[in-house]
Amino acid sequence: MQHIPSATSVRKPHRRFGIVRVSVYMAFLLIIASWIYLFIGEQANLAELFSAKNVRYAVQFLSGLAGVGVDHPAFLDIESWKRALALTYQTLQMSLMAIGFATLGMLLTVIPASRVVAGGTESALLRAWNRIVYGLVRAMYVISRSVPELIWAMMIIFFFKPGLLPGAIALALHNFGILGKLCAEVVEDLDMRPIRNLASSGASKAQILIYGIIPAVLPRFLTYILYRWEVIIRTTIVVGFVGAGGLGHEFKLSMSWFHYTDVTLYLLCYLMLVFAVDLISAGLRRWMQ
Amino acid sequence: MSSKLLDFHKKNILTVLLSAVFIWSLFSVQWGPDLFHPGGQAALGQMMQGLLQPDWSPAILRLALSAAWTTLAYAVAGMSLAIVIALVFGVLASGVLASTRTARNVQVIGFRGALGFMRAIHELVWAWLFVAAIGLSPFAGIFAIAIPYGGILGRIFADMLQDVPEEPITALRAAGASRLQLLCYGYVPIAMADMLSYLMYRFECAIRSSAIMSFIGLGGLGFQIQLSLQDLRYDQVWTFLLFLIALVVLVDMWSQLLRKRLVA
Repeated sequence: MQHIPSATSVRKPHRRFGIVRVSVYMAFLLIIASWIYLFIGEQANLAELFSAKNVRYAVQFLSGLAGVGVDHPAFLDIESWKRALALTYQTLQMSLMAIGFATLGMLLTVIPASRVVAGGTESALLRAWNRIVYGLVRAMYVISRSVPELIWAMMIIFFFKPGLLPGAIALALHNFGILGKLCAEVVEDLDMRPIRNLASSGASKAQILIYGIIPAVLPRFLTYILYRWEVIIRTTIVVGFVGAGGLGHEFKLSMSWFHYTDVTLYLLCYLMLVFAVDLISAGLRRWMQ
Repeated sequence: MSSKLLDFHKKNILTVLLSAVFIWSLFSVQWGPDLFHPGGQAALGQMMQGLLQPDWSPAILRLALSAAWTTLAYAVAGMSLAIVIALVFGVLASGVLASTRTARNVQVIGFRGALGFMRAIHELVWAWLFVAAIGLSPFAGIFAIAIPYGGILGRIFADMLQDVPEEPITALRAAGASRLQLLCYGYVPIAMADMLSYLMYRFECAIRSSAIMSFIGLGGLGFQIQLSLQDLRYDQVWTFLLFLIALVVLVDMWSQLLRKRLVA
């Protein structure tokens, strides 16, 4: 049974398995090296984790959260609840502001960031200019999404006084890059035929935008915006740690003052907010479809 | 035709609604010059200057390299635990192992609820709770990454397992496969490519999360950034930031390479 395989049937699966296999080996190598480093270099000690002292601390902390032995636990106090709900309301506003800023930034940059426009058939000078703008915007996206919200917040707090605005801007800076990348992909994946049709029947650039591009990309954009809003609401508490307002700030203060029943209260409000936003966002997305 | 018209209205209504909510949120801030620090503008200028001239001295580079490795190690360790959590909880939450309809419903609701709780709380909040409970140990950071990422991965894995087409599973079942065999030879191989590509995307996120674990006192790039910010050494801040960006971009490139092979 002499069987001579053709070049494509042999090489292609070979190459396909190459990358996957190398990745799997690399992943195992990384996992092993990381654990060794953490156990030796960082002195992670599993036995110490469950020592009697630690167990006592953990029990103490958990009973503190549950308000064992506290006369007036904050989560049973009407006044505390009122204060916490006001903070929850502020946090919600901060998240809305953040996703709004991120969306505005994305809308301003998404057209030059997509290759559809960058690869047009204009004069050589215009094409070079478009390439440069494309590269700059894409670099901006990479920088803004690679830096976590908390670090943006740490830097921005040098410029703004503590409050809701710096928190919203820090959240917006990180999500601007992510939204921009996702939405530029949507624009690039657009079905170009309706747009060519519009252009060939003499539509101006503005008309192409309004009748061709916006109706086609809007549903996907809205889906991504709602999805990022869900992520932002979870992160609002974290930017609060470094001086942006809302639940995070009070959470940090209560943690530092060992007011553990307040911590429980804020965590409850935070969880309520997260689940409410998840429900609203999922509901809106289903309604839109 | 009428339903088309309705669709058009719905997304426009949603756009108007979201814009209105955004404008309403702007009223929560008292706009004015009071928002800025007196010396804020100077700080911003220095920060921009730092971006143009990062500190490339050998000592800082060596520090940045070792900090980048610490950040990567925490992310990898956290992710490796998250995968274990996600596989166990994800399979149970998808209900493919359940024998009866009631058992399936109980499993799905119970484990999806657990996964929802794990991912509802941000990793840094988990980290802080762990530090308060067990003290500052590397495990606080590892668990803090593993739990929320286990939650999100588990939920997505469960969704993917539930979306597996019926026909191959029915064929396997007709051939007499047990439920465990259905899972190993039916569900998992079909969903594997999607699961891996989502995993790589989450790994990129885990690197960012691991960088902010510095906030509770663990080492890594975030810690160095925090120190340099406190020293007002913006040129060093940007060196560490650029290392973080490079790390994220490298992982992103790896994941794109892998995704192209797996999904296409």
